[in-house]
Amino acid sequence: MDVPQVERDKERELISRAQSGDRAAFAALVREHGNEVYTLARRLVGDPHMAADVAQETLIRAWKALPNFRGDAALSTWLHRITVNTAWTQKRRARRHSGLSLDEFTDVAAPMGADHPEMAGEILELRGRLRQALDALPEAQRQVVVLKDVYDWSHAEIADAMGISVSAAKVRLHRARARLARSLEASA
Amino acid sequence: MSVICEMAAPFVANSAVEGTPVARPFRAHAEGCLKCQARHVAMTKTARELASMSNETLPAPMDLEWRVMSSLEGELALARSWRTPVAVTAAVLSMAAAVVIWRLRPRTQS
Repeated sequence: MDVPQVERDKERELISRAQSGDRAAFAALVREHGNEVYTLARRLVGDPHMAADVAQETLIRAWKALPNFRGDAALSTWLHRITVNTAWTQKRRARRHSGLSLDEFTDVAAPMGADHPEMAGEILELRGRLRQALDALPEAQRQVVVLKDVYDWSHAEIADAMGISVSAAKVRLHRARARLARSLEASA
Repeated sequence: MSVICEMAAPFVANSAVEGTPVARPFRAHAEGCLKCQARHVAMTKTARELASMSNETLPAPMDLEWRVMSSLEGELALARSWRTPVAVTAAVLSMAAAVVIWRLRPRTQS
């Protein structure tokens, strides 16, 4: 049995225990998926404090919805969907109260290729500009770019999660990419 | 920068990200335009960077687990704290109802 299979079995067991109300098992799942949920939240909402709130809310919603989790998709995929919905709700709520600033990403992991000195500088520089350009995108456009181009969701999945039509998702993506390209060009 | 480059920009960006040819109305222009080609190259790099971001995980705040679990505990405690007064109130009300019924019962004159 390979390691991922062992991990999958372990996760399945944790899910099953958590579904029967075992909080310790759920805490283990939170430890396992917390970073992943937070990362997606951070990319979707930009602001680190709001991302932490989104991650917290997502995991609480997940606990409540866990009895309905049938395991058709991977837990991480299911959590991603809840994160997108939660981020959307929190942003709407926040927008009602005040204008939000989008902080830059500062504590990201080293990018791939950063261990090649000849490439590292260029990659880091591009990545820094890319994050700024992503943050500068209008929220709805940023979300489609993140979900499609980072997480490789299908247009249909994005449309479903964001409550828009598939063609609206495509149009939004089309505009977002063009805007991203222009913004990167301007910052080069 | 020509107007046509600007019109072609979304199609050039899409083509770079999707790895497909530029949409037909702008293909001939993009193939002959240095500006559009440079954009295509830049956006191809960007697309690669975006895709590689999926392997990156940002560290969640240290207290995330604590925040989640204590919220759940809080909700449970709240549910419990509601349950007790509700049970006491129900008991008091049923006792009061029993007394009222007892007092209003039809009495036979002896």
